[in-house]
Amino acid sequence: MRIDQQPTFVMHGRPYRETSLLLECLTRDHGRIGVVARGVRRERAKLQRSQLEPFQPIALDFLLRGELATLRAAEPIGLPMRLVGDALMSGLYLNELVVRLTARHDPQPAVFDAYGSTLRRLADGEPVGWTLRRFERDLLDALGYALALEFEGDSGEPLVSGGSYRYEPELGAVPARPNEPHTVQGRDLLDLAADRCPDAAGLAALRRLMRQVITFHLGGGELRAWTVLGQGGVRR
Amino acid sequence: MSSSSKLLAELIDALRCLPGVGGKSAQRMAFHLLERERQGGFRLAAALEAAMRDVGHCSRCRTFSEEPVCPVCASASRDKHVLCVVESPSDLVAIEQATGYRGLYFVLLGRLSPLDGLGPEELGLPMLAQRLGEGEVEEMILATNPTVEGEATAHYLGQLARAAGIRVTRLAHGVPLGGELEFVDRGTLAHAFGSRQVLGS
Ligand SMILES: [Zn+2]
Repeated sequence: MRIDQQPTFVMHGRPYRETSLLLECLTRDHGRIGVVARGVRRERAKLQRSQLEPFQPIALDFLLRGELATLRAAEPIGLPMRLVGDALMSGLYLNELVVRLTARHDPQPAVFDAYGSTLRRLADGEPVGWTLRRFERDLLDALGYALALEFEGDSGEPLVSGGSYRYEPELGAVPARPNEPHTVQGRDLLDLAADRCPDAAGLAALRRLMRQVITFHLGGGELRAWTVLGQGGVRR
Repeated sequence: MSSSSKLLAELIDALRCLPGVGGKSAQRMAFHLLERERQGGFRLAAALEAAMRDVGHCSRCRTFSEEPVCPVCASASRDKHVLCVVESPSDLVAIEQATGYRGLYFVLLGRLSPLDGLGPEELGLPMLAQRLGEGEVEEMILATNPTVEGEATAHYLGQLARAAGIRVTRLAHGVPLGGELEFVDRGTLAHAFGSRQVLGS
């Protein structure tokens, strides 16, 4: 199948055979695919590797046959996005998260859109932590793992702003026991649902919650980027 | 392939681990060695065997070395106050050949890349942090590649160095010498434009 002008983000590239790259791409209409870029590691390659770096919106022409696609052409769409510092580190986290949670050849236009606007926010210098929480929420939503942010998981009662909850990945928010550690406030969950940025303590609680939920959907196991971001002092 | 000799088939197969060597060239190499270069073949075999067995990593900079400390790290004439961090031993060689750099190196043997399973531990950063804490290094030159992962690595290293109170510099990147702007790719041009410098008088 020949695909032309497909809006795409490269998420990762690794050497493939002698002079090629195997690119892990997020495409708008074909989901995540592996694309072989032949000969781009040659010194005088026609297509420059810098055009196939992550975080740039590009249009790809490729041939989709079997598991891997073969790149035919790539051109930038719009201005390149420049992620620096914490935003750059966060971008690496975004890529690992998407690769680990999505399957190849599973079209997810909503994930593509959320990914693109998240990169834009990171490039524009919006606060990293809140930007990541919004993306995690939208990603889980698009993949059918939507968080229950407005009602209690067991009783179905509406969450109370001042209430204290424990979030269980399979069930949702349930009222916390007295003195239970690692709780999240009702208002923080309601803020996330309404796309309002909570305060610093709320953001920290939501970060813990997301990590727990993502770990659950990964079937256990860690994301490498968590270590990198944590030790790199990223204000995430 | 069908071959009359099992040893020959084994040699051809083994040669294919070399970069750029497919079945055809492996066969050509094997025949060449057997027909015309027996001496060279023995020498190659001995050198390969010795290098594979004895070349390890320098305990100071992690580059390839058969000594516990490599000649650069051991040299008394190198400036111990400047440390240049590179991704690979070949980057080290490139800088040695192209510049008059007289300081020391640290070789990461990779770059931060969560999707490749490469984090701070794999890059020897605890060892680097300890070295920065020793107080001898005054400037750290970040010479990781100008790729997304190389930049992320530089950012991480920069934080490490600043935490130890060390001056950090990064290789400049921009328009290649002898290049023309209209042929430079957008990313490079945007970067060069963004990091333009005041013209000295
Ligand atoms: Zn050394």
